[in-house]
Amino acid sequence: MLDARVWLLWALSLLLIASYARNPLYGIVLLLTTLVVGSVCAPDREGPRMPLSPLRFALIAIPLAALFNALTVRLGETVLLQLPTWLPLVGGPVTGEGLVFGATNGLILTVIFSSFAVFNRVIPVRDLIKLTPRAFHESGVVLSIALTFIPQTTRSLQRIREAQAVRGHRVRGLRDWLPIIVPLLVSGLERAIGLAEAMVARGYGAVADAGQPVRNQLFLALGLLALLGGWLGYLFMPAQRGIAAGFALAGAVLLVAVLWLAGRSTVHSVYRQRRWRVQDTLALGGCTLALAVALTQRGALYYAPYPRLAWPAFDPLIGLGLLGLLLPAFLPLDEEERL
Amino acid sequence: MIHLEQLSYTYPDADRPALSAVTLDIAEGEFVLVAGASGAGKSTLLRCLNGLVPHFSGGALGGRINVAGYDPVAAGPHILSRVVGFVFQDPEAQFVLDQVEDEIAFALENAAVPPAEMRLRVEEVLHLLDLTALRDRSPEALSGGEKQRVAIAAALALRPRILMLDEPTSQLDPQSAEEVLHALVRLNQDLGLTVILVEQRLERVLPYIDRLIYLPTDAPVISGPPREVLRQIPLTPPLITLGKALGWEPLPLTIKEGRAFARQAALSAEVRVCPPDPGEEALRVDTLSFAYNGAAALNEVSLSVGDGELVALMGRNGSGKTTLLKCIVGLLRPGQGDVRLSGQSLKGQTTAEICRKVGYLPQTPDDLLFADTVADELSVTLRNHGLLGRPPIGVSDLLTRLGLEGQRTRYPRDLSVGQRQRVALGAITVTRPRLLLLDEPTRGLDYQAKRDLVRLLREWQAEGTAILLVTHDVELVAEAAERVVLLSGGQIVADATPQVLASSPLFAPQIARLFPSHRWLTVDDALSALCPEAPAPHET
Repeated sequence: MLDARVWLLWALSLLLIASYARNPLYGIVLLLTTLVVGSVCAPDREGPRMPLSPLRFALIAIPLAALFNALTVRLGETVLLQLPTWLPLVGGPVTGEGLVFGATNGLILTVIFSSFAVFNRVIPVRDLIKLTPRAFHESGVVLSIALTFIPQTTRSLQRIREAQAVRGHRVRGLRDWLPIIVPLLVSGLERAIGLAEAMVARGYGAVADAGQPVRNQLFLALGLLALLGGWLGYLFMPAQRGIAAGFALAGAVLLVAVLWLAGRSTVHSVYRQRRWRVQDTLALGGCTLALAVALTQRGALYYAPYPRLAWPAFDPLIGLGLLGLLLPAFLPLDEEERL
Repeated sequence: MIHLEQLSYTYPDADRPALSAVTLDIAEGEFVLVAGASGAGKSTLLRCLNGLVPHFSGGALGGRINVAGYDPVAAGPHILSRVVGFVFQDPEAQFVLDQVEDEIAFALENAAVPPAEMRLRVEEVLHLLDLTALRDRSPEALSGGEKQRVAIAAALALRPRILMLDEPTSQLDPQSAEEVLHALVRLNQDLGLTVILVEQRLERVLPYIDRLIYLPTDAPVISGPPREVLRQIPLTPPLITLGKALGWEPLPLTIKEGRAFARQAALSAEVRVCPPDPGEEALRVDTLSFAYNGAAALNEVSLSVGDGELVALMGRNGSGKTTLLKCIVGLLRPGQGDVRLSGQSLKGQTTAEICRKVGYLPQTPDDLLFADTVADELSVTLRNHGLLGRPPIGVSDLLTRLGLEGQRTRYPRDLSVGQRQRVALGAITVTRPRLLLLDEPTRGLDYQAKRDLVRLLREWQAEGTAILLVTHDVELVAEAAERVVLLSGGQIVADATPQVLASSPLFAPQIARLFPSHRWLTVDDALSALCPEAPAPHET
């Protein structure tokens, strides 16, 4: 297992690169990368937390995006068919270029979805909690519980639908959802209360009861004010940009300091403290390489089929650079250190 | 260890106290069972001991509590979490993380236990509860008994001196329940941990306990050694009922103790085995097979239920019982085979159409309830089927039969477990189905509610309704069923009279274990053979 922070960087890099890339060939490279990394690195965790597989997402997203773009964009020279102009919004020529550009967008969406699906699957809930700053430890726990609540709610929805179906219930209109929504909400609420009781009975939040000192709250407010004021000043007072930037910077520093202080005062210990290892450095390097290539070659990543469809250019060196993101799949996974 | 003095507690907005003037003492290292009808305040009592009541629930509390030197009311549940471990009824509802090991460490992390110490403690409880092989699994994917053991391990990680469990086995099949109970007995005997357990099925626990606390609904609490308390209380498992009726002294608590008496008492009396006399065939299932994504769940299952016959469908969790019921009502479409209702194939009919003729009670009856009043709950079903103008059975009549006429205008979810289940039963039988399918109807019911249910089923049977009952409750089957179908791995392994249970090591009821050479199953069987003139201990 790699460090959770490396995985976070991996997912963010993919997000960033995907947001630049409109070249379908690079898009395919990225998609394959996420799929390979996902199948190699995601341990056989029971009960996937993602309701939709990336491939299924692609089957929906790509045709939909292609259709939408083709029907709404009038650019391009390869006219496939002419829709009557009196039709609102969609009337006019439907071009092959529009279709291709839309499909590429769908592909990029799939890449983003797939990278999050992988991130979601490789990171156990405990590491998600660890990714949150220490000052927010409690909120991190709550957030991760919300994540585990999703599959449970899906299951009770299924159960309740069946229970209502056996008394002859059929969903025809909006009102017919009432017999399903009411038990779902009530059972969800009951489960939430039960979990809250169970957590309190296990001493959750016991040590954090002291509360944050007033000083911290004051500094937090000041920091936010400075950051916001500086940012506004930067935007609207071009003459004093330097001063405004200084303000924003000071605010940011103050915020980080307060969070660090607050984090020190929340007491809890960590069960699996893992050391930074060579594999982490290598994976980090891979991400950095891909990021560097993408940021320097932004132009090459972009491809527009307009005005006339042409085969997109593919630079093997850039492709190779992007493969840095594939590195997590090839790092030896040794038995996890527990301390 | 625990000392209660005149403890009274009233929930906010409640008109009568949940606990009144409870005075109790529990010594260190005792294994204590808390019994009582549902609604008698068993869970409330446990929650008072670790401060969840009143810190979590609000309400008014009077009297004094002392738990291992702490006052839970003053200290609150956070502090008490170091002294008292708490395990809840539904194992799934208490998990926070998605790996067994992390789940156990969760409480330790929050208590800021240093990592080295934490590692030791996690290892310790993993061994104690035999979970080492499951350490990397997700709690969600474990079996019911394993889940509950994880919950116990998580509660023990903080090394409490008292472990409290609120009906920890009510959702488990008998084997898993056994597994959990054995773990508790070991903890109590080897570590001297004080264990306080709330449980409906006394017969499972009686052999192990030192003290029985009985909470009546409106009388002072009775607490003491199990034999003494059992003499004074109405809820008694078959063995105790028989022992009391035959005047066995000292009252046997285990089957082994009971056998000594049974050997002397047993005559050569043979019980009548009335050959079942099924009426016309109400339900016929023909070579039905079903697979979930390629994994076979039912394999060529064939069975039939006659009019007025009650057939029990038994088997371990995951043996395909619920799947079979769902296939019958069309919630699942079988890959092969046919279901016939009074000779008519159900192929091609929608679930709604089938359910006009078949009443199906799902495992969680609460899933049905959403209306504002009990009566509405019944009329919704009628409206769904377009029968509101001409109901096959009067709503008032049905409510009276269900014993709910006083609750007509109440909000269904405010009722007790037994009542809620009867509302759900009403909602599915208001179409007057000729066939009833019940999925574990006795889960979470106390003895009284169970007796009411059996009486209700008998009445329906007498009117010719065919009943197919999925259950783990062997005593219920012994008492009510004409025929038992055993399912294992999606296949029928037995289809016979309930006497087949007598020789089964997994499913034998207490009386059958007591008199292994006879074919008796229930207290009534044994009593009518042993002393024909004795009055029945309770009417069913």
